[in-house]
Amino acid sequence: MVSSTVDHMVAITVFLAATLLFIGLFNQTIQTAVLYQRHRATATKASDLLDNILLSPGVPVNWGQTDTFPTGFGLQDPEFTQYKISSYSLMRLRSSVGDPVYYNATEQWYSNVTIDGQNFMLVPYNLALDYSAVTSMLGINNSYGFQLTLTPIVTVSIQETVNPKVVRVTAAGAGFPLSYATMSYCLLKVGTKGQSPYYDISFKTVIADETGSVNLDIDVEAGDSYALIVYARQGGLVGVGYHEHVDFNLKRYVIPFIASFENGTVLLAHSYDVHVDTPPESAVFFNATFVLLSEDFTLREMPLTQAKTFIVYGHGSDKTYENVTIPTHNPGILIVTYSSNNDEGAVLMPWGLGSMAFPVTFGGDPSKQEWVATDMRTVTVGGIAYQAEIAVWSLEGYQVIER
Amino acid sequence: MMRTIEVLIVIIIVTGAFIAVSFFAVLPWPRQVSPMNLRRLSFTTLQMLDSNYDLSRAAFETDNYTIWGGLQIALSASLPPNIIYNLTVYEVTGQTTQLYTMVDSMSNAESLGTTSDSSSYLVASSNVTFDVVPEKIGEHNGGGTLYILNCSDAYGWWITGYTSHSLAQDLYNLLSPYFSETVMVQSSNQFEQILNNNTLQGETVQDAVIINTCGEAVPIPAGYYATQGYVGGNYAKYCYILGQRVRQYNWTWASIVGYPLYYVSNTVLFASQHNTYGIYGMQLVGQAGVNAFLQGLDNKTYSHDNDGITSSSNNPVNLLPNIYYYCNYYGIYPSPSQTSTRALHTSILDDYNLNLGLDMFNRFDNNYIPGAMYKHIFDGDTDITGSLLALGLTRSPDIRLTALGILSYYQPRLYHSEYTANDTSRIVVLQLGLVGGA
Repeated sequence: MVSSTVDHMVAITVFLAATLLFIGLFNQTIQTAVLYQRHRATATKASDLLDNILLSPGVPVNWGQTDTFPTGFGLQDPEFTQYKISSYSLMRLRSSVGDPVYYNATEQWYSNVTIDGQNFMLVPYNLALDYSAVTSMLGINNSYGFQLTLTPIVTVSIQETVNPKVVRVTAAGAGFPLSYATMSYCLLKVGTKGQSPYYDISFKTVIADETGSVNLDIDVEAGDSYALIVYARQGGLVGVGYHEHVDFNLKRYVIPFIASFENGTVLLAHSYDVHVDTPPESAVFFNATFVLLSEDFTLREMPLTQAKTFIVYGHGSDKTYENVTIPTHNPGILIVTYSSNNDEGAVLMPWGLGSMAFPVTFGGDPSKQEWVATDMRTVTVGGIAYQAEIAVWSLEGYQVIER
Repeated sequence: MMRTIEVLIVIIIVTGAFIAVSFFAVLPWPRQVSPMNLRRLSFTTLQMLDSNYDLSRAAFETDNYTIWGGLQIALSASLPPNIIYNLTVYEVTGQTTQLYTMVDSMSNAESLGTTSDSSSYLVASSNVTFDVVPEKIGEHNGGGTLYILNCSDAYGWWITGYTSHSLAQDLYNLLSPYFSETVMVQSSNQFEQILNNNTLQGETVQDAVIINTCGEAVPIPAGYYATQGYVGGNYAKYCYILGQRVRQYNWTWASIVGYPLYYVSNTVLFASQHNTYGIYGMQLVGQAGVNAFLQGLDNKTYSHDNDGITSSSNNPVNLLPNIYYYCNYYGIYPSPSQTSTRALHTSILDDYNLNLGLDMFNRFDNNYIPGAMYKHIFDGDTDITGSLLALGLTRSPDIRLTALGILSYYQPRLYHSEYTANDTSRIVVLQLGLVGGA
């Protein structure tokens, strides 16, 4: 009788222990399966979200060319179908990588995308869409986070050589050089007449070699300041590169701030007013012009009215900045040549993001997330080829860490 | 002891079950959990390559190594290095049992790796998709010459805002595809030659269409026509001779705005005379001009008649529905609402044996025709002996109305190429594969 009781107790104990052990083991397998389903759902969401963003122009459809905020979010170019993205809607996204700039004269913060020192795209926060507003419009706030990245596929690099009259231009794609590419370039040479800067602008088209490179003979002398914009195209793939030969140690130059997308207004500010708060400073004289990107990716000059004037920082509020108006919503590049105390240079600003192939990074930070699903599409922005990539993560559910 | 053994047996069975479940319930690779959507990537890549129709061009010119090689470079450059591809072009035949025939392909790898997907894209040949070939006027029944008076020694009147030269150029662009020959008459001397039935470039003078771009004025050649056309102190007789020539050669005379033949112009001949408004090189004829022209057209005896046969009141008029049809057919869209200020009276139809070949606008006051093509046919005859297109509208002239009137009257056909014709469509299939680790 005693041995039977002991047998029962041992058996029950062992059985319970084994049951608990197996529950734990099976639970782990089930957990992994549930996690797989969650991740799979996130990946599907990433693909859907990317298509939703890229294949809808938003509401209203032309919100990128106005100063109003959309009620529905989308980036497609309203004049086209398929994966053609609006150059202006992209400009109105608040960049998540550049340090924002505060400008005292307008008392506003600006979303900042600055490439290579003198190529600016500064959009005021009151015109730039922020991440939380976009997640609300997409209906994913508190459920998913995302980061959207648009990167130009073609890289056009411009390097100066020992000979100041020759620059080497190389075009390459994501995994291959753009051999025998057709390269159309615009050379803008800056000089000074009296106090005012002037420029000579010239256009030409050449063909690259099998490595995607070509040496351009440009009509400049050593010490000249110039800006060079090159469009490279081959077999339907188009990219753009730009280069300024200026003295980057020059402390006085012009910084363009976008003031209105609807009216095409751009404020030209004295660099000291933005970077260094010690007025007064010497005047910066400028001469603004706009080069229009035509359908065959050649550039045409469109002179601006009120293009020649000067900015003085610290001598009176009326000259703190100047306005120029870009009279078109066709993509192009605003070129501002400037001079101050016998130094001169040029700054560039894209009007329509694709015209200078500026990259875009918008949204949250995926590096802090436990699981991130990505997807990509090939798109065109103003005719320029971009890779659009989205990273999506879940903000709720099992084993997702929120920090 | 037996219970313990039974429990151990249960443990062994459950362990076996767990091992079996663990063996079969293999966790997928991360690539399978969150796969890159290769199908969408390949589709968007094809769309991007065709955004300026380069892909379409390459798909139809696979023998052209420059274009085909350019496509391969662009494709290689646009895809990330860990993605390999195979692009194949198929001809869409539709005539045989085999619907798709492979034309050519390119690839950067022998196989497409562990995971692959593809998408297809239909491209159309640029040669045929939008191709429209117009029938030439006179191609089947003689004539077919378009003369555009672009005389450098004559001024225009009521062509405000334009010059004769710019109007002539616009007319050339609009109408020359529809005519066998289009000749710009560059001077009054050349105009004299065709009035004398001499060709300028070997064209056919008979049955031609002549458009006077000088508006209310008409070029007058010095010499015979200026001499013979000057009777009783004005040049209405010259207009009579013009009417005769229009009848003799079965011309169609087009007056683009206002009064027809209200002035004559020759900057050399009338260098010291003006049109009563201070424009030298021009002489006033008045309404006697159109009366004389119609007399000549109807082979009546010339008599100077300055009585008005037009209404000079301003009246809004609209294009008639049949003209809307031709607007759509020829793709010419002037404003459908115009202002009539020099409409001809319907009495000319009976007085000069004229028939309406084409009515362009609604009439007003029941008796005035703002714009129409008049065919001259002698009573009891069926042959057309000269025509007049008179647009009695206000300045500035819309040259598209003249083009529309001529095309609506002659009705040359447009031959549209069929989009679905054989050998005009090809399918491009892009298959992408992933290489590298999981």
